[in-house]
Amino acid sequence: MMLAAFANPVFDSQSNFRELLQAMARPAVPRTLPVLPPAPAPAAPAAMAIVLTLCDATTSVWLQQPEDEVVRHLRFHAGLKLADRPQDADFALITNPASMPPLDAFACGDMRYPDRSASLIIQLAAINPVAAGGAGNTFAGPGIRDTETVAIDGLPADFWQQRAALAALLPLGIDLFFVAGQQVLALPRTTRLLEG
Amino acid sequence: MTYNFAFLDEDTKRMLRRALLKAVAIPGYQVPFGSREMPLPYGWGTGGIQVTAALLGPDDVLKVIDQGADDTTNAVNIRRFFHRVAGVATTEHTAEATLIQTRHRIPETSLREDQILVFQVPEPEPLRTLEPREAETRTLHALADYGLMHVKLYEDIAQYGHIATSYDYPVLVDGRFLTSPSPIPKFDNPKLDRSPALMLFGAGREKRLYAIPPYTSVESLAFDDHPFEIQRWEQQCELCGSGESYLDEVVVDDRGTRMFVCSDTDFCSGHRMEAQA
Amino acid sequence: MYVAVKGGEQAIARSLELLAEARRGDTAVPELELAQIRGQLRLGVARVMQEGSLYDEELAALAIRQAAGDMLEAIFLLRAYRTTLPRFGYTLPLDTTAMRVRRRVSGTFKDIPGGQVLGPTYDYTQRLLDFDAAVAAEVAPADVPLPSDMPRVLDLLDAEALIERIEPGSDPEPVDLTREPLMFPADRATRLQNLSRGDEGFLLGMAYSTQRGYAESHPFAGEIRMGEVDVRICPEELGFAIEIGSIVLTECQMINQFHGGNGVPPQFTRGYGLTMGEGERKAMAMALVDRALRCDELAEPNHAPAQNQEFVLSHSDSVEASGFVQHLKLPHYVDFQAELSLLRTLAAQHATDAEEQPLSAAGGQRS
Repeated sequence: MMLAAFANPVFDSQSNFRELLQAMARPAVPRTLPVLPPAPAPAAPAAMAIVLTLCDATTSVWLQQPEDEVVRHLRFHAGLKLADRPQDADFALITNPASMPPLDAFACGDMRYPDRSASLIIQLAAINPVAAGGAGNTFAGPGIRDTETVAIDGLPADFWQQRAALAALLPLGIDLFFVAGQQVLALPRTTRLLEG
Repeated sequence: MTYNFAFLDEDTKRMLRRALLKAVAIPGYQVPFGSREMPLPYGWGTGGIQVTAALLGPDDVLKVIDQGADDTTNAVNIRRFFHRVAGVATTEHTAEATLIQTRHRIPETSLREDQILVFQVPEPEPLRTLEPREAETRTLHALADYGLMHVKLYEDIAQYGHIATSYDYPVLVDGRFLTSPSPIPKFDNPKLDRSPALMLFGAGREKRLYAIPPYTSVESLAFDDHPFEIQRWEQQCELCGSGESYLDEVVVDDRGTRMFVCSDTDFCSGHRMEAQA
Repeated sequence: MYVAVKGGEQAIARSLELLAEARRGDTAVPELELAQIRGQLRLGVARVMQEGSLYDEELAALAIRQAAGDMLEAIFLLRAYRTTLPRFGYTLPLDTTAMRVRRRVSGTFKDIPGGQVLGPTYDYTQRLLDFDAAVAAEVAPADVPLPSDMPRVLDLLDAEALIERIEPGSDPEPVDLTREPLMFPADRATRLQNLSRGDEGFLLGMAYSTQRGYAESHPFAGEIRMGEVDVRICPEELGFAIEIGSIVLTECQMINQFHGGNGVPPQFTRGYGLTMGEGERKAMAMALVDRALRCDELAEPNHAPAQNQEFVLSHSDSVEASGFVQHLKLPHYVDFQAELSLLRTLAAQHATDAEEQPLSAAGGQRS
């Protein structure tokens, strides 16, 4: 039997969107998604919440692990177009980040239209706050008053080097949503990882 | 026939929401979007209305201002529209609002992190009066080639001794995109810089959205020997006595006598109440 | 004593009452019925449907009545209504060759297969005000019924390879301008879509300018036809096309001289116009402007306003233009105050400069 989507599509997607917007506007700060829909594995409920909030028949989505049940679920509830190749995707759902494609496999826009670029939804085991002086990733950029520090684990070893290389192309780039449990954290292309 | 919550259908809201997220991710860049025909005329706030409709939820408290005032007819009409199609609570108090839609002003009261300011934008392209062709201005933005604007401002100085732009004064957002702050007086430009509140801009007729995220550098263009300056008045507000707010000049009799009063009506009445307390 | 401008809410409520009263007029005179507007003001209904982008005679009639006959306001009402309507499907391309023709004229051949058919036209009315219009006209039946299929005049030229050929089915999927923003450069399908929604008066003026030297235009009215065309859809679950109704259309194909260029041999080229309902003036104007906008593709000099696609397409829409022109009546006193301050500063500067250099030539150039 197919799982349900949002119980109240209008209001559930509205309240989730507001958190996604604040997440994008205040990078590297985890926020709580208020309503999580059911999600067939390997998609996590928080990732499904983002897809159902933002995607429909006019967006193309690339699934790292296109299991039949997820595909059926997304086609039925969101009427999605699935992208065969990462470079064709408006959104990509990364369910196994350790083996995700390199970031430059995704569209980063063109100079006149840098918005024609991919948004990645990356599922993590956890997003951990970092106590003062603890080890983590420290970020700065638009939306961040001073700096923000958070621990983002489970990514390919050279993930941050790949992302730093993309920064040379600004304003081209790709935008990232990390999800874990009920949390979402965004890193738009303009957010810089500070050294050490 | 009944309309969807906040008038727009869900496909349209998703389209707007995707565009808004890209706008925030690329500060100051104008994202083209499939602007819909709204039941209010183009040029009267259809861009701001669409952004507000994409944001609005039942828990929001909405404030709408035009020229800084809540009771100007167009502000009243937009507030009426959202009350009718979304049934949300409305307020005239800046501090109580979660969402503020504005035309031509930024409130005097400092905004907070939990507030969003939505601007109505007639012409999103700051270079448009200098270069009417969209294909050209897109290229200039791609190259960050803003020489045209610098030349224009410099010619002002050469001709008049001043930069002759008093509103819609161009800004550079995050050091990258030349951006129109919408036709706010340049008095309000400093409030754009590193604002705690997210600021979203909607141009319905021109079909563009853009954003200034919180805590983002917003620099008003200037030259070393001609630094950016805001308007100042010798007068104070005759109603509340404020010496730091933007003043409207009002003609009070047929001999042309003037009085100066705050343009931000909520700020003015709050200031008067404080004075009385 | 100054009182802050208050009472916007009440002023709007009173204004709406006055508007309702003014729209209704003398209550001793019966209210217009929608059937009267549909039946007796059909050309107004057609224009509102066309520029409102919604084929619905009843709603167009309602909009005209609500707008008290202001066509642009009625168009705006219809557009605002259609904006949130869901899309149930997309029709197959309409086939105007299979039009059940009620009018069809050509300016290029004296006689054409199927004949010239005047149909209902104002062309030869002599424009005398008719004080006895209340008397119903009687229509004599035609001696010979019109053929059900009339070949297009331009297809006759096509057989001789004298006119550019446009392969059916070679068009890309068109952009829906009511869902996607207009981007430049715009392809021909997108331009035509914009023109078909464009204001008739604007297009007429633009088209006229191409005839007066503001473009390389040497047009002939190849064919104008008006009549009913079937509308078909092909639902995915059925897998074959079904007819869902028919609509009245006016189509104009202009033929333009072309001396060759951009690798294209000398031949006649086409300008195309299409409107819903009877809209001949608009269809003809659209065809002229369409042809003018093809200048880049045909490597013609691009110097006239009607050839400039950003100029034409950005300013053709009456709802956009009317809104922005009329927004000037909204309060602008914050910006006006900013301009007042600036002007006072500049004027003071000017006065100081004039005192300092009364005879300076540089001072005289200031403005």
